[in-house]
Amino acid sequence: MPTPTSNLPENEGPSPDGQSRRSFLRSAVAASGLAALAASLAPLRHLNDFPSLEQFLQKYYKELTPEEMAKVLKRIEDEVEQQYGLRPQVRDLKPMNGVEFVYALNLTRCIGCRKCVHACVAENNESRNPEIQYIRVVRLPHGSLDLDKAEHNYNPELVPEKGYFYMPVQCQQCKNPPCVKVCPVHATWQDADGITVIDYDWCIGCRYCAAACPYWARHFNFTKPTIPKERLNPDMAYLGNRPRRQGVMEKCHFCVQRTRVGRYPACVEVCPVGARKFGNILDPESEVSYILRTKRVFVQLKEELGTSPRFFYYFDV
Amino acid sequence: MSQGERTGTVLLVLAVVFVALGMKFVSRAGTRFPALQKIPLVDTQFLETATIRKSYAELIRTKADLSDFDCYACHEKGKPPPLRFDAQHNLIVPQEHSDIVMKHGTHNRNNNCFNCHDEQNLELLQARDGRQIKLAESPPLCGSCHGPTYRDWEGGAHGRTSGYWDRSLGPMKRQICVDCHDPHHPKIPPRKPAPGPHLLHPVAALAAEASH
Repeated sequence: MPTPTSNLPENEGPSPDGQSRRSFLRSAVAASGLAALAASLAPLRHLNDFPSLEQFLQKYYKELTPEEMAKVLKRIEDEVEQQYGLRPQVRDLKPMNGVEFVYALNLTRCIGCRKCVHACVAENNESRNPEIQYIRVVRLPHGSLDLDKAEHNYNPELVPEKGYFYMPVQCQQCKNPPCVKVCPVHATWQDADGITVIDYDWCIGCRYCAAACPYWARHFNFTKPTIPKERLNPDMAYLGNRPRRQGVMEKCHFCVQRTRVGRYPACVEVCPVGARKFGNILDPESEVSYILRTKRVFVQLKEELGTSPRFFYYFDV
Repeated sequence: MSQGERTGTVLLVLAVVFVALGMKFVSRAGTRFPALQKIPLVDTQFLETATIRKSYAELIRTKADLSDFDCYACHEKGKPPPLRFDAQHNLIVPQEHSDIVMKHGTHNRNNNCFNCHDEQNLELLQARDGRQIKLAESPPLCGSCHGPTYRDWEGGAHGRTSGYWDRSLGPMKRQICVDCHDPHHPKIPPRKPAPGPHLLHPVAALAAEASH
């Protein structure tokens, strides 16, 4: 650091060692200021999850031409292969014509085994540490649906327990989604088949949507997600389960990589008691159509908020 | 001590404190977060999509060993096997069938093998109206008592489905009653739950532990 010893103005009066008080203070302040700046920027050294220039300059999802989309998908495949040593297949799946997805969950049947939670984590490449889980299973005492009494961390030897029922909560795919309304950059929107999707490359990480969602369905990557290589699911979709970066939002998307090619979501496949039902509500022959037609008691969670969920809880009565 | 000296001392002490704090902040700038606690990977048994049990129909599909289902290796053809009951009118399950737990229906209402099995041909089942039903095609027999559940199963509200929701793109697989329910003991046994969420914040994790 510069410590001027000569050329001092006469009126400062040189100190015995040839340094004026003013120049000493000036250099001390400059040095500590530089040190503070360096300290405040130090966390940047850890930001190894920086977007590439290609990604940074990428256009908005809805404006991408098919050729540009193909390039983007190839870039993502390259990035995943570089990071995980496994070549994934990333597709851009559009909603199907004449399809609107509805989910029905039988609260009489659910035993709270949490298999859906972990099947979802495995299918959708969610971070294992810190944990991101799209489905939360809460335990409620019989006789009410009072969410104040909900317990997430139940851990008995065996489920179901006497006197309790279990309610899995995930993104309700609202018809009137508050999360979409608050997004300042249109990184999340509701597609024609009713799935609210997120473009992870467009999300700026402001977390407004998480604040707006009354179901706690949106999860934020506060750190770089960790997924063990051997558990990576290589069947990926752009708006679905491709690995996320640090600083973006994610949530349940009804497994678009499965459901938009006609398959059931992972949570439906794994449910050991058949409590989870999924299908196209516009098809009168579908299971969900049968359920909404014949079952008599439904719960749309927090119905009074006017979000109009496409997720129906029903009972066997 | 003069006014000037006191001021000097106070300023010196303050300067030392600030320098010490500054050094501490600079030295800690490199470490970003407290280390994350280790979370073990979930056991793959919880990712298993197979049904709770393997039914006879499933064994046929997977071409498994069916020698256990050869009734006439022991029983005599055309001669209904005798049933024995104890003093409380509980069915005594013979030793050869000791793997069977008879717990279908409450109050002993269903403790007779031939409510479902055909006593003339043990390789078949028999509905109450006398219809003979193959072992692998049992749902109509179950439905003869469990009407509303059978109706829901046919409509898709009861039971497991897997594969494709869109049948034009691939097969949809419907499980039958006995794929999940043991016909002799139909209540699905309680099971071990998969691990719950691990709390990220150490203090929250401790608090949650203390409340249990």
